[in-house]
Amino acid sequence: MIRSTKTWQAVALTAVATLALGACGTTDTGSSSGDGGDSGGDCNFKIAAMGALSGPNASIVVPSVDGAQLALDQWDGGDCTVELERFDTEGDPAKATPVATQIAGDESFIGVIGGAFSGETRATKTIYQDGGIPMISQSATATDLTQDDPVEVFHRLVPYDDYQGAAIAKYLLDEVGASKVFVIDNSEAYGEPLADRVEETLGDAMIQRDKTEVGQTDFAPTIAKMESAEPDAIMYGGYIAEAAPLLKQIRDAGITAPFIGGDGLYGADFGNAVGDAGEDAVVMCPCAPIEGDSTFAADFEEAYGGAPGAYAAEGFDAMTVFLKGLEDGARDRASMLEFVNGYTGDGLSKSIAFDENGDVPQDQVSYWAYKNVGGTLEPEVEVKPAE
Amino acid sequence: MDFDNLINGLDRATLDGITRGSIYALVALGYTMVYGVMKLINFAHSEVFMVGTWTVLGVYTVLGATSSSGTGMVIGATLLALIAAMLASAGTALAVERIAYRPLRKKGAPALIFLITGIGCSMVLVEVFGQVLKYFFGPPFGRVLVNVPAVLETKTVFTIPGVDLAISNTRILIIVGAIVMMVALDTFVNKSRLGRGVRAVAQDPDTASLMGVNQERVIMLVFVLGGAMAGVAALLFTIQYDSTKFDIGFIIGLKAFTAAVLGGIGNLRGALVGGLFLGIVEVYASAIWDSSWTNVYAFVVLVVVLMFRPTGILGESLGKARA
Amino acid sequence: MSQILDAYRGLKLGDRWDGAPKVVRWAVMLLVIAFAFYLPYLNILPFAYIRTDLSSTGSDWASVLFLIVVYMIVAVGLNVVIGLAGLLDLGYVGFYALGAYSIALFGSTNSPVVGALQSRFGFSEEWAVPFAVCIPIAIVMSLIAGVFLGAPTLRLRGDYLAIVTLGFGEIIRITARNLDNVTNGAAGITQVPVPPGPEIDGRNFFNTIDAERWYWLALTVLLLIIFLARRLEHSRVGRAWLAIREDEDAASVMGVAGFKFKLWAFAIGATLGGLAGLLFGSKQQYVEPNAFMVNLSFLFVAMVVIGGSGNIFGALLGAFLLTYLPERFRAFVDWRPFAFGVALVAVMILRPQGLVPSRRRAREFEDRRHEAEEAAADV
Repeated sequence: MIRSTKTWQAVALTAVATLALGACGTTDTGSSSGDGGDSGGDCNFKIAAMGALSGPNASIVVPSVDGAQLALDQWDGGDCTVELERFDTEGDPAKATPVATQIAGDESFIGVIGGAFSGETRATKTIYQDGGIPMISQSATATDLTQDDPVEVFHRLVPYDDYQGAAIAKYLLDEVGASKVFVIDNSEAYGEPLADRVEETLGDAMIQRDKTEVGQTDFAPTIAKMESAEPDAIMYGGYIAEAAPLLKQIRDAGITAPFIGGDGLYGADFGNAVGDAGEDAVVMCPCAPIEGDSTFAADFEEAYGGAPGAYAAEGFDAMTVFLKGLEDGARDRASMLEFVNGYTGDGLSKSIAFDENGDVPQDQVSYWAYKNVGGTLEPEVEVKPAE
Repeated sequence: MDFDNLINGLDRATLDGITRGSIYALVALGYTMVYGVMKLINFAHSEVFMVGTWTVLGVYTVLGATSSSGTGMVIGATLLALIAAMLASAGTALAVERIAYRPLRKKGAPALIFLITGIGCSMVLVEVFGQVLKYFFGPPFGRVLVNVPAVLETKTVFTIPGVDLAISNTRILIIVGAIVMMVALDTFVNKSRLGRGVRAVAQDPDTASLMGVNQERVIMLVFVLGGAMAGVAALLFTIQYDSTKFDIGFIIGLKAFTAAVLGGIGNLRGALVGGLFLGIVEVYASAIWDSSWTNVYAFVVLVVVLMFRPTGILGESLGKARA
Repeated sequence: MSQILDAYRGLKLGDRWDGAPKVVRWAVMLLVIAFAFYLPYLNILPFAYIRTDLSSTGSDWASVLFLIVVYMIVAVGLNVVIGLAGLLDLGYVGFYALGAYSIALFGSTNSPVVGALQSRFGFSEEWAVPFAVCIPIAIVMSLIAGVFLGAPTLRLRGDYLAIVTLGFGEIIRITARNLDNVTNGAAGITQVPVPPGPEIDGRNFFNTIDAERWYWLALTVLLLIIFLARRLEHSRVGRAWLAIREDEDAASVMGVAGFKFKLWAFAIGATLGGLAGLLFGSKQQYVEPNAFMVNLSFLFVAMVVIGGSGNIFGALLGAFLLTYLPERFRAFVDWRPFAFGVALVAVMILRPQGLVPSRRRAREFEDRRHEAEEAAADV
């Protein structure tokens, strides 16, 4: 019977392995079975935050989710208990879809903060639409999300790229007084449309356009084009990881024209990454400086050990809208969606209301230029593009 | 399409291409030497280079060297960074060989398996800087771009008259440094006793070991030499680009490997030719069109060259490198 | 670990399987297939622990299953190229991308190609190439790409092939990203069509919420492909591949036209990659170039090799482990790539022949190990 002993050995070891695997998974007792709060007065809900919480772009997303958590911590819920669940997508649409299906299928989720980036939002908004769960994005700015094919559930607290591009162009023309702008983008879904819009608005004031890549470190061909074009201002649509070496090589080549980037550069690590070359570089962001009489900055610093980073105020505002909805008596997705659609109120970043596409009306959006001084971004001036 | 741009700035574009290509060439040496001896693509070599760039940053940080340091400090810090980067990169290469390749060699595993352990090692090294060290020490480690102080400030040394092309100190250092290291390595492999061992194993491992060449030592030697060259490349890279990142090795490694194949993999001089050729092609093409197609230019050139010369431009093996 | 493996090896499962009566084999196979179809609903403890949605920040179990099966199709396809024909293809993601882009370019109303067709032939705004027609388009496109890439490059030696295919994968991605007026560029294409089906509760049969239907569809495709691939492996073509892999010169002396059969392997592999991409793009309903980075090619190769190249079931196991484990252990967020790298190195050093090598491969491997040991002893 040697053989059967071995059989049992194998079966037993399999069982042990299965249990061991299981043990790893039982630490978290949360269950996905949809027993959420649709039973009358019971107010037990979860709100999901979906975005790149790890990976190279996490620094643009994590502060906003922290901001949302802060809003929740400061909320006096009464009978309600609300939890914020963080879902990491690494900013990758392919990783975001299973996450979105999970959220949409779990009735205890009553709202979504996100998606943080445009790509993942594009990939998931139909899923949330099918699930009827309202989304408020703190930072997805692609124009088509609300303009080309809007869905009812999607709302956002930031102006879209068209508007951002116009604001950057206006800053270049009015504040810098530029007449020969060199426009560069990173060929990605974020940088390219933004640079397109800047180009459109600048018209003849743009002297040349060049495209680069994400992951590029050597910008010599771009610099050479710049040297012969002799621009009086440089605009870059892209992220910090490429902006830093680009800016250094621009300054190394002896080009002193002002450097302006979009909100992809707005992050606490910008100053550190660019070093000395980044002195006086300007970052445009649809994020208003927190007003002096608010305790938000101090509270945030106390809770997370640093000044509020990118979109922290928008994250706070997004959570606040959902919490107000619960106070108002919204107890399921449909009533929450109705509440969000009709919401008006003063937020930390701006006064909030959503138009039929889910955008904040443009006259309520403030657009700010931040200047990099000694490694920190300091608010310089507010820009409002004429509409 | 803007051919005028290239024609007008041909001198400048050539210089930029040579600068870019010099770094490709130095990294390519690591691929080519290991391939020449073991017929193996060392996929972790890109990370050997990456470790070098972090070592440079470490040396600068410890010495407190910045762009405003005095001349003595600049020379001292740069030399120390060079030695440290060479040692660190060589050490990493050796460690990769020990951990990922040697056990497989003992078992006589097929080449494909080496490839996977190489990719695995590459991921581990990337994550060590992107995640593990960040967890223990915090910044500057992590998944963000890090500024490396420009200890050696870029200054124009002289201008070539006639074409009005400004030559900076950093460019001289990169191009001269790369060529000096290449010549030194070439001489070492072709003239020294150890180098003869390397060539012998590359030509015929069995016969070489019959003749008393210690194959294991030769393999260690090529990893160390390739690693040291990547260390030099790392210093030159930080001097030119003033930054590093946990995944900086990936693209450089990809291009260096392409350069090695382009020149003729397993051929030391081929690595130089391939590197410079690739660098110049990329810059020329980017001047005519733009940089968003850079990798396409590189690979199209590779395919075209391989069509006509299936073993690369110089197409020799390390064993016959004497030519 | 080795204890478990030894215990399994002691069972001589392979031999017993071969010795079992046909009825038993069919019954077991049907049970396994039935269980696979039942998986999305698996909720009995302790087996339910394999689900990925247990913790509240998990991801949807059926969606993960779908992705696993799509990668399994990829692994079966790549196994033909790497495992059977012995060609190192590091650009497989290119075919995968082509499949996904074929259906997006021709089937989505959002695509510039469809837009051009509409205005060229005066079709309505809602018109797009029907889903059923997109399938042959995707297959033909990846097939052509496979031949187009293979014809000039398959004459190159193995390691050169690796870098050239790697470049091909990159070229596909960069082209998709930069050709804005054909592919919508980096923004990608939305409204990728789904397979036709009856409407249920006002939604398409294949919608974004009920991922298990997608899983069943993919699983059916996978089973079909496994069946075909098994037939292929034991056909004349399969034996020719084996001969080429072992010794190309000897094979050509024996009259096996190396180039022709290599091209076959490449084309078949490309088609399967394209098919997997098509399923992925359709389920996602959104296609964008950054979903097809080089790293994915490495992942695909790792699946085949970890599982045991040359064996379909090895490739399936590899695809399962490398897709499932990172999703199951989402809680470790940032540590997953590190763990992945360590696991890759550790598994390959402990089991260089792969987890489930084909029997032939295992024997070849034994021979080589003896040779290596003898060589070491000689020195």
